[in-house]
Amino acid sequence: MAAYEFIDHKFDVVVVGAGGSGLRAALGCAQAGLKTACVTKVFPTRSHTVAAQGGISASLGNMGEDDWRWHMYDTVKGSDWLGDQDAIEYLCRNAPAAVYELEHWGVPFSRTADGKIYQRAFGGMTKNYGEAPIQRTCAAADRTGHAMLHTMYGQSLAHETEFFIEYFALDLIMDDGVCRGVTAWKLDDGTLHRFQAQLVILATGGYGRAYFSATSAHTCTGDGGGMALRAGLPLQDMEFVQFHPTGIYGSGCLITEGARGEGGYLTNSEGERFMERYAPTVKDLAPRDMVSRAMTMEIREGRGVGPKKDHIFLHLDHLDPKILHERLPGISESAKIFAGVDVTKEPIPVLPTVHYNMGGIPTNFYSEVVTKAGKDPDKVVPGLMAVGEAACVSVHGANRLGSNSLIDLVVFGRSAALRAADTVKAGATQPELKPAMTDGHLARLDRFRNAGGGVSTAALRLEMQMAMQEDAAVYRTSDALASGVKRMEAVNARRPDLKVTDRSMIWNSDLMETLELDNLIGQAVVTVVGAHNRTESRGAHAHEDFPERNDKTWMKHTLAWFDDKTGKVKIDYRPVHDYTMTDEIAPFPPKARVY
Amino acid sequence: MSYRTPLSQARGLGSAKHGVGHWLSERVAAIALVPLVLWGAYSVILLARMDYYEAASWIAEPLNATLMILTIFVATTHMISGVRVVIEDYVYSNLSKAAALLLNLFIGWLAGALAIFSILKVALGGA
Amino acid sequence: MVQLTLPKNSKIKPTGKHFPAPAGASKVRTFKIYRYDPDSGENPRWDTYDVDTAQCGPMVLDILIHIKNTVDPTLTFRRSCREGICGSCAMNIDGRNALACIQGHEECSGAKVSISPLPHMPVVKDLVPDLTLFYAQYASVEPWLHTETPEPQKEWKQSPQDREKLDGLYECILCACCSTSCPSYWWNQEKYLGPAALLHAYRWIIDSRDEATGERLDELEDPFKLYRCHTIMNCTQVCPKGLNPAKAIAEIKKMLVERVV
Repeated sequence: MAAYEFIDHKFDVVVVGAGGSGLRAALGCAQAGLKTACVTKVFPTRSHTVAAQGGISASLGNMGEDDWRWHMYDTVKGSDWLGDQDAIEYLCRNAPAAVYELEHWGVPFSRTADGKIYQRAFGGMTKNYGEAPIQRTCAAADRTGHAMLHTMYGQSLAHETEFFIEYFALDLIMDDGVCRGVTAWKLDDGTLHRFQAQLVILATGGYGRAYFSATSAHTCTGDGGGMALRAGLPLQDMEFVQFHPTGIYGSGCLITEGARGEGGYLTNSEGERFMERYAPTVKDLAPRDMVSRAMTMEIREGRGVGPKKDHIFLHLDHLDPKILHERLPGISESAKIFAGVDVTKEPIPVLPTVHYNMGGIPTNFYSEVVTKAGKDPDKVVPGLMAVGEAACVSVHGANRLGSNSLIDLVVFGRSAALRAADTVKAGATQPELKPAMTDGHLARLDRFRNAGGGVSTAALRLEMQMAMQEDAAVYRTSDALASGVKRMEAVNARRPDLKVTDRSMIWNSDLMETLELDNLIGQAVVTVVGAHNRTESRGAHAHEDFPERNDKTWMKHTLAWFDDKTGKVKIDYRPVHDYTMTDEIAPFPPKARVY
Repeated sequence: MSYRTPLSQARGLGSAKHGVGHWLSERVAAIALVPLVLWGAYSVILLARMDYYEAASWIAEPLNATLMILTIFVATTHMISGVRVVIEDYVYSNLSKAAALLLNLFIGWLAGALAIFSILKVALGGA
Repeated sequence: MVQLTLPKNSKIKPTGKHFPAPAGASKVRTFKIYRYDPDSGENPRWDTYDVDTAQCGPMVLDILIHIKNTVDPTLTFRRSCREGICGSCAMNIDGRNALACIQGHEECSGAKVSISPLPHMPVVKDLVPDLTLFYAQYASVEPWLHTETPEPQKEWKQSPQDREKLDGLYECILCACCSTSCPSYWWNQEKYLGPAALLHAYRWIIDSRDEATGERLDELEDPFKLYRCHTIMNCTQVCPKGLNPAKAIAEIKKMLVERVV
């Protein structure tokens, strides 16, 4: 092995990732007087939060009466009762303050006539515990994530967060079950870095690129999840993968649910507004899992549109062009570029597309990473936190409601920082790192850098993506999932046979994509194994051989460990928190989920 | 190779807190030059048809002399200020920049002053 | 004097590698791509790739990914969202700065489509420029809300009319297409802030919630930071998001006049 040397850094807190949750956590830690680093593989404003469109949910009540309890009920119901109710209470209670904070930092929210933050309707958001749709999603036109991310980056420039930009995180430095830092590779000069910290916060986002067609960016490779698996930690509820109903047919680019929130609707080949049949109360504003299933069902039954009858139309052409220009300018542009459609005149061809991972690194509502040790299902992993899409708190359970992810980012980014302020002493002495803790990191890097096998990164990645796309789709069957498990085992078995062409250390994107693929594979394996294992239907996991939700057996979180050497998956469970955080609200008991 | 931080490089020497005056005066001069240059062109055509004595007495008219001096003055300031921007744009090293700026100023005003003096001489000298 | 020719170590070698199209290719188009390998110590070169465009998506980014996946994995470029919102894949395509992900290759007129890094920036590798100074200039305009009045319990109120003033400004994705297309920025980037940073400066100046308008204008009033803009308009021509940085700069200049007249 070539000789590699680390450049050492010491911080109180190291945040990995600079999307919405990473920036919020880093900002909070810096404000609390902790020496904070933010390590990110892309420039902060290029993180995928930037692509979030529709908005951020919070019961501000700017458009009429609202209550955080209603928001909580909607979120619990949206999660198909797999969400932890204490965490959901934490989320919904703290949501309004988090949005006001963003506004105070300068987010250019759209406004109501009386100067307040504009809120729009979104799927699954209702008033008075499911009565009718409500306008709860705060929006900056259809560029809310972009506006938030840029504002938060600006805000963190005003505080003392040190950014390490275009550093690719390699692995967690683990010391007998305690996280002591993270190693990273600096792309622009090829140096390796060892970030020691009392606390590492993973904010690395989702792993949408495990699928062939995803709204996710090329960089959404769930590197934090990969690192956690290699550190011997489990991932939770990975079988729950959200398909967004309206990805542009062909390119997979996102068309916000806010399009339906502003009055858009879906039609099949007969011109029928079919959502009225599937969700009579909320119609096109049903939660994403239901709309995606309805669309898939329409296509299956031969009512898809287009020459191949393989997609659905989203209509905005009945809306006032002025409203489109004011509230949905971004998607009007995307529809033009990627579907050649003028939204004021024609419908947009859309298809359910992989969008979000409800699963991730299990945490409690302080954002501390937990694992199951013996009988204790909530054993905190010292020195490690996770936030955002990388984490599974779990507030989204089996299905996330639209606009609940942006609020998740800032509420739990903040909670992580508050917890860090409570538990980390600024400048405290840290134990010396030993080479044995990082030898494995270097060996892995070196192995891939010099990989001279028979299959290119792109080819193996495609094989994985096709397996996931075909066998772990909107609807799943035992046969398909068994095939998916087999195909992913085969993909995993070919990892040692990978071939990397570029041997450089400077901006070697061939190597970076290989390391990302390595991160993806572990997560794809636990996703499909977890899905095969869960013999019920719940939220985004629609199992045709087990079409009913089975609370008796399956109202529990899946935990999956992945053995990097053997490729074997170990599955265990954690109970769902069916209790609330405070006694100010009673938990919502499970019932049938109809809209 | 500089080890200054990027922010330090971006901030550089800070803001000069002036510039609007220069920008504004350039535009004011440009506007003033529109009628002045039109008049100048008209007077050149006129002068071309005259013999020496006619021309001298035409220039000696107070309005003509004043307008002519104004044209030269404003054109000179405008030229110096415009060339200054070109020099600032394209000349990097401090020494050559200073030299070029001084040269611009000296040559510009030398030419301007000469022209104004000549007009005055003709206007006041009674040929 | 201004350097009108490339420095010695940046001169492009005329001969690079050629990658022919695979047998049976149906719709071949040639792409001429700037390659620079920092490890080799060699000058940059143009490599040419004959690509079967029938095998790729419509955008230039699709072509680049196709080349990286199937022809030459060493080709290096930034990319992320592939839908024109993250600003990673800005590069010079067919002589014009653009985002590769929303630039259709059929819209490029050249017989050979040339692809090179954003002009006049240091190149790290292939199509990856070093944007450190560009980002620092953005940071130097203090792109965050400045307020002294104690924050309200809820939101700062803002009328829809005042909010509308931010349209055409806040959408900037910091791709650097504008700044690196500006000749004035080419010649004086160490002193001139460039169109992107100035557009952001104006975004905060014009925000009705911001209380530091005067200080912001003070910081900009400078013969170089601001007044190197000579309304060349390249910035507005190339902005992939259809924004108008030139207009934003003109508005700043107008406000500075307003203060004194």
